[in-house]
Amino acid sequence: MFKEYNLENVEAKVNEALKKAHKSHELYNDVVTFIDPRAQLANMPKTGKMLGVPIALKDNVCTKGIRTTACSNILNDYEPIYDATIVKKLAAAGAISICKTNMDELAMGGTNLTSNIGACLNPWDTSRMSGGSSGGSAVIVASGAVDFAIGSDTGDSVRKPASYCGVVGVKPTYGRISRYGIIPYSSSLDHVGYFTRTIEDAAVALEVLAGRDDLDMTSSDRPVEAYSQQLNSELKGKKIAVFKNVYDGLTNPDTKALFAKLIANLTAKGAIVEEVSFDEKLLKAILPAYYLIANCEATANHSNLDGIRFGVRKPGKDVEEIMINSRTAGFGSLIRKRFVIGSYGLFVENQEKLFRQAQRVRRLIVEEVKRCLDEYDCLLAPASNDIAPKLNDHGRDELSDEYLIIENHMIIGNFTGYPSMTVPMGMINGCPIGVNLTCKAFAEQTMFDIGAGIEEITGLKDLKKEAA
Amino acid sequence: MEYDVVIGIEIHCELKTTTKMFSSAPCVFGAKANTCVNEVDLGHPGTMPCVNKEAVKKAIQICTALHLEIDPLVKFDRKNYYYSDLPKGFQITQQFHPIGKNGYIMINVDGEKKKIRINRIHMEEDTAKQFHLNDITLIDYNRAGTPLVEIVSEPDMQNGKEAAAYVEALRQTLYYLGVSDVKMEEGSMRCDVNVSLKPKGSDVYGTKNEIKNLNSIANVQKAIDYEVSRQKALLDKGEQIEQATRRYDEALKETVLMRKKEGNVDYKFFPEPNIFPIMLDSEWIKSIQAALPELPEVRKERYAKEYGLNDYDISVLIANKELADTYEKVMKTAKNAKMACNWMIGDVSAWINKNGGSFQNINCEYLGQLINMVDAKEISNSQAKDIVLPEVMNDQDPKAIVEAKGLKQVSDSSTILAIVKEVLAEQTQSVEDYKNGKDRALKFMVGQVMKKSKGQANPQMVNQLLLEELAKLINN
Repeated sequence: MFKEYNLENVEAKVNEALKKAHKSHELYNDVVTFIDPRAQLANMPKTGKMLGVPIALKDNVCTKGIRTTACSNILNDYEPIYDATIVKKLAAAGAISICKTNMDELAMGGTNLTSNIGACLNPWDTSRMSGGSSGGSAVIVASGAVDFAIGSDTGDSVRKPASYCGVVGVKPTYGRISRYGIIPYSSSLDHVGYFTRTIEDAAVALEVLAGRDDLDMTSSDRPVEAYSQQLNSELKGKKIAVFKNVYDGLTNPDTKALFAKLIANLTAKGAIVEEVSFDEKLLKAILPAYYLIANCEATANHSNLDGIRFGVRKPGKDVEEIMINSRTAGFGSLIRKRFVIGSYGLFVENQEKLFRQAQRVRRLIVEEVKRCLDEYDCLLAPASNDIAPKLNDHGRDELSDEYLIIENHMIIGNFTGYPSMTVPMGMINGCPIGVNLTCKAFAEQTMFDIGAGIEEITGLKDLKKEAA
Repeated sequence: MEYDVVIGIEIHCELKTTTKMFSSAPCVFGAKANTCVNEVDLGHPGTMPCVNKEAVKKAIQICTALHLEIDPLVKFDRKNYYYSDLPKGFQITQQFHPIGKNGYIMINVDGEKKKIRINRIHMEEDTAKQFHLNDITLIDYNRAGTPLVEIVSEPDMQNGKEAAAYVEALRQTLYYLGVSDVKMEEGSMRCDVNVSLKPKGSDVYGTKNEIKNLNSIANVQKAIDYEVSRQKALLDKGEQIEQATRRYDEALKETVLMRKKEGNVDYKFFPEPNIFPIMLDSEWIKSIQAALPELPEVRKERYAKEYGLNDYDISVLIANKELADTYEKVMKTAKNAKMACNWMIGDVSAWINKNGGSFQNINCEYLGQLINMVDAKEISNSQAKDIVLPEVMNDQDPKAIVEAKGLKQVSDSSTILAIVKEVLAEQTQSVEDYKNGKDRALKFMVGQVMKKSKGQANPQMVNQLLLEELAKLINN
């Protein structure tokens, strides 16, 4: 909890965090680069909402002079020449960054298996994956090394690993947190998100991170609220929509039981819980539409990675050949595949029926969800059908209803830009699973309030799996 | 065979802004390589564009001056291609929603006015500058991200002269707006010309060739004239025109093939997701339009009305804004508009060209006084030009100079007459020559009188009195 840190104990706490982080790095491969904290300690402010809190940053957060790879070979030696806006904000609030964390290459993935430094392991069961793309950040918070880590969420890249690792994973409204300095995946879907182990810390953190940034024209100038002060876990009268399509589709009886128990408890606490169904056809279109939009934007976003001005350059007889060789060697096969798909979707002869069509499908889904949230305070569903998959689990049928809807419904949060958060729901066979709630645009306060209510029900506040 | 020539022109013009189109790095021409760049211009990961309001304002000024309809909803798109001068791997431009559509500019060719329609104007960012050496390529990113407007004409021009007049008219307009340096030689204004020929009267356009990198208005005309004759010769031989990009070689005075077009490149344009559409405040647009600087066309009319100058004089003045501005200031003191114009276009411009000064530094009150002294025949034209003007250009009071050097012109007829008589008495041979119809003798005698008066005699009076006296001699 952020409250435990102060000016007096900062050095001891940072050293302790570094020690734990080295341990978790050894066990789970959750860290890419450690940061020497001395300069930050020497320059830290006297006051701040996160004073002395050791934190971790996903390795797609640009840190001036500190290696930032996004777990891609092409950026293996990249040291940014500037700090991301959130890095400056966190430093100004007194937080101390101690490491950069493992992730799927360029944040394109949901497993953390595509990282150039290898998979990130789940601390609850190292034969299981952490989830991704922000796997390292979820793991380092779950392991108790730090109380806060930055992630990024384009599909569900904060909220899914949060579920698998048993921590709180927050993705605020699009535009609430500046994206300036975050190595992008898909600009219209990318969100800065973060992990904590308590709702209270999550509320404080948003006060630090949120706000207009003139370097990000998509950031909102809406005033930042005092989320932590106003935090109220009272559930009475809260209108909660249970995502019926997801609930009905659950095949894991343990998950279904945990979720049913949660609903019963919410009702018992006075919340008005009702089931809401969405057009199944639209839900099945979420993943394909997502893939097209994300990959089309990604192929353009990553055209700057050419080995000319920064990053790993491979020799060639002229600039064109240098670019081709650098890109061929610099990206994993999955990334190259996505670029091909993205390019294909943007070709003039395809764009209308692929990319633009996907954008129209996105709009239909947004309208459908908006209609629901006009009536309810939040949309609630399990974050996944099951606990974290095994590392070698390749047997998933990606066209099954289960996969298309249950494993991808959180993309709704990225399509709409609405605030969405995963909170631990319970344990199955010693591994955690989370519940996801999505609220109206800029209704982060409501999201935190309901999250705090759930936290009280589950009793899973400050859940962690510290190394023995 | 007779052909119709069809010419369309695309002009890229760098906007004179303090900072770049999408970043806060400074825009400075001629700075040391790679010193005017930040992480955005270099396309570093995680960077995002931020639209330069000043650039939008200048684009609105241009659209207004060229009578385009302004789209108040500003949107940007990505143009995707890989090239080492393009840091992000895409250029942010306005493919789908240009800021301005459907305008025109009036040109004047051989006294005939013609309207050239402008299809669209859009905003975009410039690329880096590359220097290809033997084994290496050097890249200067200072230019990367500089705000540009692209001005696309309709194919309304029919020869090199019209095209040159169009480019010159645009150049003047943009210069008077103060939105750009419009220096073709420095690349702040770049011109790509599309030329095609079709059988006279045909509705079907011929295959076009694009001529790139024209570095002066004169070359625009030369390149087009060459290209037209080249295409005509091919067509006359019954050959096909291949679509291609060409450049003008100044030494050869020919257009040279750069590359053949093999199908259109797919730039995969799509809306820039990091810039939401921006709705411009209509009051802001109106305030920009209301404060538009005076345009050359308007100034031309004013000069005709205010100063009574002829078209030629006006066009020479207007072609150089500094010259015209200085002329206006001089006219606050000078009384004779035509004489002042002649001085500005002639001796003053010549002095500046020779001595490398600038119009802005001229003391216009002194220059006006000098012109008035000539006008009032207080000093002779040659004295004014050779002796006083250089001093005035160095900020010296012309009255003081005339005083100090004793240049006051003698306009007293009895004094001049006395010298005239003296000369006639001395130069009997010249008088004889004059009688025999040798006009040169008169000039010689005028020179003698001027010499005797130490240049102070009023030359017109000398001329007149000499003629009178000679007439008397002849009649006797």
